[in-house]
Amino acid sequence: MTSTWITTRAWLLMLPLLIVMVAIIGWPLVDTVRLSFTDAKLVGTEGSFVGLDNYVKILSGSNFQRTLITTFWFAVLSVSAEMVIGVLAALLLNQQFYGRSILRALMILPWALPTVVNATLWRLIYNPEYGALNAMLMQFGLIDAYRSWLGEPGTALASLIVADCWKNFPLVALIALAALQAVPRDITAASMVDGAGAWSRFRFVIMPYLAGPLMVALVLRTIEAFKVFDIIWVMTRGGPANSTRTLSILVYQEAFSFQRAGSGASLALIVTLLVTVLAVAYAALIRKSAGVS
Amino acid sequence: MSALELINVRKRYGAVETLKGIDLSLASGEFLVLLGPSGCGKSTLLNIIAGLAEATDGDVRIGDRSVTGVHPKDRDIAMVFQSYALYPNMSVARNIGFGLEMRNVPAAERTEAVQKAAKILQIENLLGRKPSELSGGQRQRVAIGRALVRDPQIFLFDEPLSNLDAKLRMEMRTELKRLHQMLGTTIVYVTHDQIEAMTLATRIAVMRDGQIEQLATPDEIYNRPATRYVAGFVGSPPMNMLDATVADGIAHIDGSLSGIPLPQALRENAASARDVIIGIRPESLTLASSEDAGLAIEAKVEVVELTGPELVVTSTIGSQRLTASLPPRSQIAVGASQRFNIDPSALHIFDKATGKRV
Ligand SMILES: Nc1ncnc2c1ncn2[C@@H]1O[C@H](COP(=O)(O)OP(=O)(O)OP(=O)(O)O)[C@@H](O)[C@H]1O
Ligand SMILES: [Mg+2]
Repeated sequence: MTSTWITTRAWLLMLPLLIVMVAIIGWPLVDTVRLSFTDAKLVGTEGSFVGLDNYVKILSGSNFQRTLITTFWFAVLSVSAEMVIGVLAALLLNQQFYGRSILRALMILPWALPTVVNATLWRLIYNPEYGALNAMLMQFGLIDAYRSWLGEPGTALASLIVADCWKNFPLVALIALAALQAVPRDITAASMVDGAGAWSRFRFVIMPYLAGPLMVALVLRTIEAFKVFDIIWVMTRGGPANSTRTLSILVYQEAFSFQRAGSGASLALIVTLLVTVLAVAYAALIRKSAGVS
Repeated sequence: MSALELINVRKRYGAVETLKGIDLSLASGEFLVLLGPSGCGKSTLLNIIAGLAEATDGDVRIGDRSVTGVHPKDRDIAMVFQSYALYPNMSVARNIGFGLEMRNVPAAERTEAVQKAAKILQIENLLGRKPSELSGGQRQRVAIGRALVRDPQIFLFDEPLSNLDAKLRMEMRTELKRLHQMLGTTIVYVTHDQIEAMTLATRIAVMRDGQIEQLATPDEIYNRPATRYVAGFVGSPPMNMLDATVADGIAHIDGSLSGIPLPQALRENAASARDVIIGIRPESLTLASSEDAGLAIEAKVEVVELTGPELVVTSTIGSQRLTASLPPRSQIAVGASQRFNIDPSALHIFDKATGKRV
């Protein structure tokens, strides 16, 4: 009897929050699902029911496929670079040296900056006329004419990835650093006595402590990278020639630039589904690795 | 040949000098216990021997080779940590064999060595488990196995038993002793537990504030402590320290009416010292009947505690406290005055000013 009362009370206590959540998340979601089966425009027509038309068009169209591939590359490359740089930075900042605390504080800076500020900053760096990158490469003699890094389809995505890395590696580094500090000093000492060199020590002794937290960082960053919008929107708007158009940009263009609310909604739902699949897969992975250690 | 030699080893952390010049020479096969209170620098010294910390000054020689600047892995030492420091993700077998694995010992040879160590420590049935699936005592065995398998010149132990409960600690102590007798390796062992020190050591270095106060056999540490500090550190209940004045070969304990005539051997040494401390071990006191002659002191009994094997009697002489360990069935009246016989050969006299043995 007590336990049912406790359960009932728990539900009662959660009820206000549940109502709010249904109102701000549930209802829009349901409405988006409804929209996705119509040919509604953003303004004007309410649209009429078109069945799976929107979905079929999107999934069979080359636009979606190309965008998916762009998103995939953006996510894979930026996240793996962030993981590697983040772990290296954490290993460095875990050493004893003069000025370590200042460096630790400085490292967080890129991550603490608003994305829009970061994006604007990098636009300046990449600027084809007075950008710092061009100036630097010229001075080192690596290029013989200023280039438009964000204006050429061949370099735009890579340039974006660099900017995204710079912003997000501190998060990985922070998580890794916290994990490194949890490695017992005796364990490191024991591995030194046991004769493990730097690499073996990292691989066999330290990595097990890093794996769990890094997995969390990986999940967070991959999902975020898949949904990336702001940094690209500020720097390239998906151009040039759609070479940096990711899924979120495509959704935005479809729904707002082309005002096709119906197919925009179906596209948004497809992206949501993809991200959900990712999240579930990672959650399973995390649970598995947590069970092991 | 000495297995280990420390020459004027010093360590400072900033302005604080943690080790103030340690000199020590250890023959092969010795079991040296570094004994001292928390913070006296035992671990620091052990880490310097292991190469995990660097001495500010002085030299460490292992097997007649200076190892200053030599990496821990090349010092031919193995270390057992207080926290066991097992690698949590590896099986017991791999934990034990990890040192060999890192030294590129072939797998077959490694397995054989691990099996052998496991057999000695009776943990063969645990080899497939992870450290998290072991009890404290089993982890301790694995940690020892990890050192054993390497067959090093010197074993270093940093308070290896302090995380175990009392019963297990006693068992492991015996086990360690057996292991040392069987293998005959040189061991340096850190502890602040005097019983461990007394039972295990062939020699004890009693440390205080970064210095060695006395380096001697357990027997000598117990029976001829060089300083008041050493005397007070070893023995339980601790040695009675009574303020006294010596005049004409008679020691007058402050607060006591009668004097204790000092035995001849002590008389000469104590002649010059006036203010002294008389050290009497609680276990060297016995009950005296009133007609007994010989060395005796009178004290007022305050508390009587039966610990099981002995009766601990706390009494006072003036404002000074006197503790006696007596046989459990002794007849003692609380609140009454009681005479205790003293074995003259068990008297320790320390200079009050310097704390040194007289
Ligand atoms: N890395 C360090 N930096 C500064 N001071 C230190 C450092 N390591 C040890 N000390 C100091 O050196 C002194 C001796 O420390 P140590 O760990 O050797 O003591 P210990 O005898 O092993 O004590 P315990 O029985 O508590 O383990 C302590 O006062 C400690 O504060
Ligand atoms: Mg210590």
